[in-house]
Amino acid sequence: MQDVESIKNKHYIEVKDMSFSYGDEPVLSGIHFTVDPGEFVMLTGENGAAKTTLLRNILGLLHPTTGESHIAKKNMNGEELKVGYVPQQVASFNIGFPSTVLELVESGRYPKNRWFKRLDKKDKEHVYRALESVGMWEMRHKKIGELSGGQKQRISLARTFAMDPDLFVLDEPTTGMDSSSREKFYQLLKHNTTVHNKAILMVTHDHLELRPYVDKHIELLRKEDSPWRCFSMDS
Amino acid sequence: MEMFFYGFMRHAFQASFLISLIAPILGLFLILRSQTLLADTLSHISLVGVALGLLLGVSPTWMNLLVVVVASVLLEYLRSVYKSYSEISIAMMMSGGMALALVLMSFNDNSTMSLNNFLFGSIVTITKEQVLFLFAITLVIILLYLFFKRPMYVLMFDEETAFTAGLPIKGMSLAFNIITGMTIAIMMPIVGALLVAAILILPAAISMRLSKSFNGVILIGILVAMLGMFGGLITSYYVDTPPGATITLLYLALFFIMMLGEKLLKNK
Repeated sequence: MQDVESIKNKHYIEVKDMSFSYGDEPVLSGIHFTVDPGEFVMLTGENGAAKTTLLRNILGLLHPTTGESHIAKKNMNGEELKVGYVPQQVASFNIGFPSTVLELVESGRYPKNRWFKRLDKKDKEHVYRALESVGMWEMRHKKIGELSGGQKQRISLARTFAMDPDLFVLDEPTTGMDSSSREKFYQLLKHNTTVHNKAILMVTHDHLELRPYVDKHIELLRKEDSPWRCFSMDS
Repeated sequence: MEMFFYGFMRHAFQASFLISLIAPILGLFLILRSQTLLADTLSHISLVGVALGLLLGVSPTWMNLLVVVVASVLLEYLRSVYKSYSEISIAMMMSGGMALALVLMSFNDNSTMSLNNFLFGSIVTITKEQVLFLFAITLVIILLYLFFKRPMYVLMFDEETAFTAGLPIKGMSLAFNIITGMTIAIMMPIVGALLVAAILILPAAISMRLSKSFNGVILIGILVAMLGMFGGLITSYYVDTPPGATITLLYLALFFIMMLGEKLLKNK
């Protein structure tokens, strides 16, 4: 139990002097920031600003050329940290994939070490709340391939909510949502950080809209022909 | 019902039953991973295993298992080398396997087995030993499926989110390829190198359109497979056609009937 303080002081995401190149082409450089439990962090930058590349480095799907990027191994309670990643193109899944909405969202309840267990009451509760929060509970028996683009986006988010991760990594999750659902979605995320101490790193284009909700704003900027650097925009 | 008096027909029915249980599972995963050609490639490579076994005078079944498992590991490696052009490795291994098998067979003039036996299979000449091998792999696959159904679903849906959720995706892909390889090595002499892929893939391809849920596809796939395997076997017995080919044609007929049914329902 003597570790509680050290766990509490830990960042969920820590990026230190990171740079990344595709081959000889430097893309990101001097990236430096942290995301802590209970923090809602927004990442912005114009088109082509390597925002997704940065996320992929953080998640371990790509490896930094120099510097470091870490995700904490444990959450604040000392349990294994769960990461809920929603990639940008997640909604463009193969329309032939044979699955109902319910099966997809339930699959969020099976991160590692919980492969063989049956879904218990708590799991079902999480699945119900996740589907309800994106307004898709009524559609749970539909085949996922038959949904519209916006609905696919919403069930992909529901799957991540059902997972109940400690850290959300969201890549433009509001594409295809109307402004009232976006507002509802931001409130839901904010609730997750303030009440449940979750951490959120979210890439977005709607930074004006999202501004009131976030604790930190990181923007990727560059001078001509140099790699993208990050700037903390906090006031 | 006189056909059941023959031992070879009993073996053929037992083998068909076992294949019907595993084909939809492997077939669905192969389809979802866009690896249907993998099945074809491995079945061509398994000809090398048989040819090598016959040439060296060791058990073709064991030799075959060894060769195909090595090939499936190699294919998974090549898949990561040519990420977006994985067909390249498939084409190389498929033609390379076939060529090597033909050369090896040409060294072996006192072989009683002809290439034809292995290209087209002989479900009616299978031995008890082959049925036992098939039984063992069926048991393994069903157990693995029951245990790993959920992580496999997550992997099939999207590899990257599976990785960030903490699944060992490389290990799972490799294990899947190896199991598929072993199944193909065991099935190949029974249904024939040219038709293994069809028999693995078609039941899942048909049932994918008949069910909207993942579990439903597997269950309906097993029924479709039984219809095709038993129906094909019985037809081939009475009409005297090659069993593997009859089964494949029956599957295709089922596929077209289903497409027609879909069209009619839609126009209603």
